[in-house]
Amino acid sequence: MSFQENTVALSSGPLAYHVAGDGPPVIHMHAASGFRATAALEALAQSFRIYAPVTPGFDGTATHDGVASMEALARLEAEFADTVIGETADVIGHSFGGWRATWYTVLHPQKVGQLVLECPAGFREEGVGGLSPDPEELQRRLYAHPEKLPPETKPESMVTRNREMLAHYHGGKAKDDALVDRLNEIEALTLILHGTKDGAIPISSPRLLKRLIPRAFLIYVYDAAHAIEVDQPEYFTGLVGDFLTRGEAFLVNPGTDDRAA
Amino acid sequence: MKFNYFHLMPWTDIEETDQDWPVANKRFVPDRATALYETYIDTMVYAEECGFDWIGCNEHHFSPYGLMSNCNLIGTVLIQRTRRARIAMFGNLVPLLNPIRVAEEYAMLDVMSGGRLIAGFMRGIPHEYVAYNIAPSESWERLEEASELILKAWTEPEPFGWEGKHYKYRAVSIWPRPIQQPHPPILMSASSPESARFAARHRAKMGMVMLTDLEAAKNCIRIYRETAREHGWEPGVDDILVGAHTCVAEDDEAARRHLGGGLDYFYHVLFGGPRTAQRLVIQKTRFYRDEANRKTLGARLAALRRTTIEERIDKGMVLCGTPDRVIEQVRHLHAELGHGVMNINMKIGNISDAAVRRSMKLWGEHVAPAVRDL
Repeated sequence: MSFQENTVALSSGPLAYHVAGDGPPVIHMHAASGFRATAALEALAQSFRIYAPVTPGFDGTATHDGVASMEALARLEAEFADTVIGETADVIGHSFGGWRATWYTVLHPQKVGQLVLECPAGFREEGVGGLSPDPEELQRRLYAHPEKLPPETKPESMVTRNREMLAHYHGGKAKDDALVDRLNEIEALTLILHGTKDGAIPISSPRLLKRLIPRAFLIYVYDAAHAIEVDQPEYFTGLVGDFLTRGEAFLVNPGTDDRAA
Repeated sequence: MKFNYFHLMPWTDIEETDQDWPVANKRFVPDRATALYETYIDTMVYAEECGFDWIGCNEHHFSPYGLMSNCNLIGTVLIQRTRRARIAMFGNLVPLLNPIRVAEEYAMLDVMSGGRLIAGFMRGIPHEYVAYNIAPSESWERLEEASELILKAWTEPEPFGWEGKHYKYRAVSIWPRPIQQPHPPILMSASSPESARFAARHRAKMGMVMLTDLEAAKNCIRIYRETAREHGWEPGVDDILVGAHTCVAEDDEAARRHLGGGLDYFYHVLFGGPRTAQRLVIQKTRFYRDEANRKTLGARLAALRRTTIEERIDKGMVLCGTPDRVIEQVRHLHAELGHGVMNINMKIGNISDAAVRRSMKLWGEHVAPAVRDL
């Protein structure tokens, strides 16, 4: 399932997005590297229609006037959902996208079906983890299996610019205390994923989320670092697909015959 | 120096076995086994009275070689009948088992014993993989993944799931959790360079239950220490366990006779079937990732079977003789290896249980006091 790129006109400006697949709608919120059509997402698009809005300023797009905070981004993404999707959608957010997805769920609960937080940023203590400026160290923190990383298709300047955009939205802070204070408002069934080798997000972060989000499940993905979709695409697709399809019943092993029931 | 009393619980009522695997159990006599278990458990409990710091259990399958197919069951009995000694597990064979079950049972043992568990995360010897129908080539990666999962089950404060290659759980939250924090000490086998590295990477105690070659043992300890430093920690002497078949008697000749006869029985009667399965696994699978290691082990096992008791004593592979002689042998081993835990296995093959208890008593009264401060 290949992703197609489109643009929609929103009140603050044009918003690029990628879309693929057929099935129930899912919004995918990308990480600091911008949107990437990973093999895991393409496999997920066999069963879901995935919408991946590009955060203004990322992947060579322009910023929007008046959209310069995580809360403002959540509002923009809500307008995107109303305009393009028009119905409740499940939400997946990876890293920086997980931070956005959490704000989105807190501010627009009625628009969210189920929530998947894939190594979300925004919940770590200052000075622990994060994105290292050293390229080798950065790669170690992000990938347990860098050999699985597809060839880079974005120019270096775009990758750099994408990372610089983080400060535009969250000021470079490690922990969003205002959001932490509202985690207990989340009613959506939430799946938290954490790679056992994640060097960017310390273990205290998923534990905090698990403790504070009322209906959350925490799953450790073995032999994966921060980029679970790259390190363990089959685990990601199987797990997330099962969670989005069966909801709370994903806890129960379906065997080989019961999945359709 | 600390001392571990190790017991294989062998079946000793047969004169010969064929070399088939698995060993046919038609010669197993349940009523006789009831008496054997009673004797063996009494002996292990007696180890505490003889000054042993740890009592060691282990896990083996499908063979008269050892009747302890579940070391946790024996551990439970020992916990109830001892007060001071740590219970050291030279099982569970983690790649063969459900890791969550292992985490739970170890946590129970730790809590019931008031924190006396030393938790073995063992890979097992090759024939166990045939017994439990697990691909030997998966042994390392199963051990790696299961070990991480067990530690997670012990230390994670909130319910969690696990998505891995060999293990998948959607919700885990074990009751009870261990009493020792953050978790009980871990013991792993380190009888090869590969396993020594593995143990060090996981911050586990290293165990060489039975010495087969002094130089190889030195090499494993060196690798263990170096790998530990590379991973940011410094092993203490208590983290290094070295074992030897042991017999202490009033005179050297009696000790040699007991141990020589027991070893002969062990290698030629008890270990026949397992050796057949072991050979198959070593030759036909990737149980050993390192080709050199595979060849070395095969050659060492073959040589071991042919080695006489005198050669074993001369090479420092066994502790055998009067208390004074054994004290000298332990000091020599310690000078060579610098270990802090001595693993003592006295019930070798069909050595009589009376001779074993006599050996334990002499160890406790004479040997242990003389070498404890090493």
